[in-house]
Amino acid sequence: MTAILDVTEVRDAVADLLADRVDPAVLEAAERDGWAAGVWEPLHAGGFTTVGVPESAGGAGGSVAEACAVLEAAGAASAPVPVAETGLLAGRLLASAGLALPDGPLTTGTGEVSLRDGTLAGRLARVAWARQAARIVLVADDADGAPVVAVVDPASARIAPGRNLAGEPRDAVDLDGVVPETTAPAPADARDALARRGALARAAMIAGAARRVGELTVAYTGERVQFGRPVSRFPAVADHLVRIAEQAEMAAIAARSAAASAGDGEPAALEVAAAAAVASEAAGLVAAAAHQATGAMGVTREFALGVLTRRLWSWRDEWGGERAWATRLGHTLAAGGPEALWPTLSRGLRHAAERS
Amino acid sequence: MIFDPTPLSPAEEELRAEVRAWLADVLPADFRPGLGLGGRHDPEFTRALARRGWIGMSIPTGYGGAGASTVRRFVVVEELLAAGAPIAAHWIAERQTAPALLRFGTEEQRRWFLPRIAAGECWFSLGMSEPDAGSDLASVRTAASRVEGGWRVTGTKVWTTNAHLNHFAVVLCRTSPQGDGDRHAGLSQLIVDLGADGVQVSPIPLIDGEEHVNEVVLDGVFVPDERVLGEVGQGWRQVTAELAHERSGPDRYLSVLGLYRAFLAVHGREPDDVRAAAIGRIGAQLWAIRQLSLAVARSLEQGEAPAVEASLVKDVGTTFEQQVVETLRDVAGGEIDPGGPTMFDRLLAECVLNAPTWTLRGGTTEVLRGIAAKALTRSAR
Repeated sequence: MTAILDVTEVRDAVADLLADRVDPAVLEAAERDGWAAGVWEPLHAGGFTTVGVPESAGGAGGSVAEACAVLEAAGAASAPVPVAETGLLAGRLLASAGLALPDGPLTTGTGEVSLRDGTLAGRLARVAWARQAARIVLVADDADGAPVVAVVDPASARIAPGRNLAGEPRDAVDLDGVVPETTAPAPADARDALARRGALARAAMIAGAARRVGELTVAYTGERVQFGRPVSRFPAVADHLVRIAEQAEMAAIAARSAAASAGDGEPAALEVAAAAAVASEAAGLVAAAAHQATGAMGVTREFALGVLTRRLWSWRDEWGGERAWATRLGHTLAAGGPEALWPTLSRGLRHAAERS
Repeated sequence: MIFDPTPLSPAEEELRAEVRAWLADVLPADFRPGLGLGGRHDPEFTRALARRGWIGMSIPTGYGGAGASTVRRFVVVEELLAAGAPIAAHWIAERQTAPALLRFGTEEQRRWFLPRIAAGECWFSLGMSEPDAGSDLASVRTAASRVEGGWRVTGTKVWTTNAHLNHFAVVLCRTSPQGDGDRHAGLSQLIVDLGADGVQVSPIPLIDGEEHVNEVVLDGVFVPDERVLGEVGQGWRQVTAELAHERSGPDRYLSVLGLYRAFLAVHGREPDDVRAAAIGRIGAQLWAIRQLSLAVARSLEQGEAPAVEASLVKDVGTTFEQQVVETLRDVAGGEIDPGGPTMFDRLLAECVLNAPTWTLRGGTTEVLRGIAAKALTRSAR
């Protein structure tokens, strides 16, 4: 492995770095301006935005598991910058086509895009931070229907601003007539691989955010006194705390297992589908339980919970929600037949690592 | 939280393949799988399994076991439950009694019981619940009074699974009256011979029509001193230690595997999207819960005591099992027919009638969540 650090150390390092850099004022400003330079710059300078991209392509090196460790910490901190998009998504896409990383924030997205005579046609929907990115990296089909990686300067495309529930930029990018800066043939499954990494990235971010929601909710319900005692002592409230912990841990172990399935390569399809299905479902359950437990305080702009739950409600559907991934996984499992069901679900991480 | 993905070693994977192949060989092709730990009581199967060395694996070699790790035992148990194998004869002795004897038993008890348990010849029931002591175990009223050379036990135990077939029950009882102070004091665990004079076992029929749980009336049953498990008066501490360690095993998420497999057999390799989504969701949840359970096993193997984590796994696992039954019923459509033509029909009927017990046995969901919440709020302070 090209390990740069143990995954726990990576997670802790990013958590430490973000601890005093993301606060309510920074998040409010990021929602207003669409950018948080004070969060991006130290992450980028520390090499954390390109973990998981080979050094030969200009990345910081490290495995998909390490990239996901960064994302878990970024999710917990609500870091309002395209960490996932720059490294694990666009960065690895570039590297898979033999292209080097341009400097600065990168992004990518999905949509039907074609490349004919050096000119693009088509649209990308809901692209994270398209306006702020240095470059947009995408997969287009050439005249033969083969996938090509194209690098686009956002200034050359028409961008309609959009946002998710957390106020993070999610823009529509119109590429008709745009001439990409660079193109290179992509691996045959580049689109699917990108979608898998997208779903895995969101699962890791959900895991981080869900755990943080658990901490906040435990702390608040331990301090809030009603009927003469902390509300966490009421069994019905305690019930919410337990279910939040369960679902957060489900999301975390799912995301980490899927990330570990990558070994030195790409994450395995089955593990990613399972992780995405688990994490996206967990996101909704955690958010609902936390809001119920924290009462009216939880839905105020003043309290830190909403910053996280608005992200959970957004991230769970980005790159596909729980039904989309469960359906995909279900077709795969059904196609294997009943006798293969348990052997498939119980195969160990070792096998996954060997496959890739 | 100790939850991290746990890779299995090549040796552990080999063991899994070996158990899987053996089960495929010994279970008939039309075998109707048991619902996890609800598998049938089959002495012959238990002895055959023991001959392979797969009962009491974590018992040290000096006491007739294999001295194997927690995770190796986990792998074997997982395969047995996944197949729905008839494990009821040795289940409690293997999972609960053997570790308790190793932890609290006398040398003499270990030498006598453990080799017999590992050979699949000595079967145990649990004597904890009573008519007035369910979740509130400390209120047990079964009492033992001191007599020459031992104790005389009188009281009634309920929900005692397979007491009519097993040899012994570990009975939680009062050995000194409940004082004003600590209500957990004065409890002890006695190993009662279910064939002894004064033991009367009668079935408690359940809603599924089965008669495998019992009422056990103890009327002045003599228990010699050498059958006291652990220390007199320390029963509460011993019982809670037992429960915490056995909460999170594969029996908490594999009760429904046979049903899930049977659903796939009925609905073919090209299900519609609604059924595919159900299959996928169940697969994803099972895959994740299994990783949690495995993480607890690995943590126990390393000498840690992940009690909160074990409670969370049990809760999430048993809740999942119940959801699976409802989900598959819903997407299968039609009426539940216990005498239906497919294995899925018959297992679905059995699951619907059994599922309520899954979140009761080994501690109800409500009590479990109470324990877990206390630990979560304590660790936050």
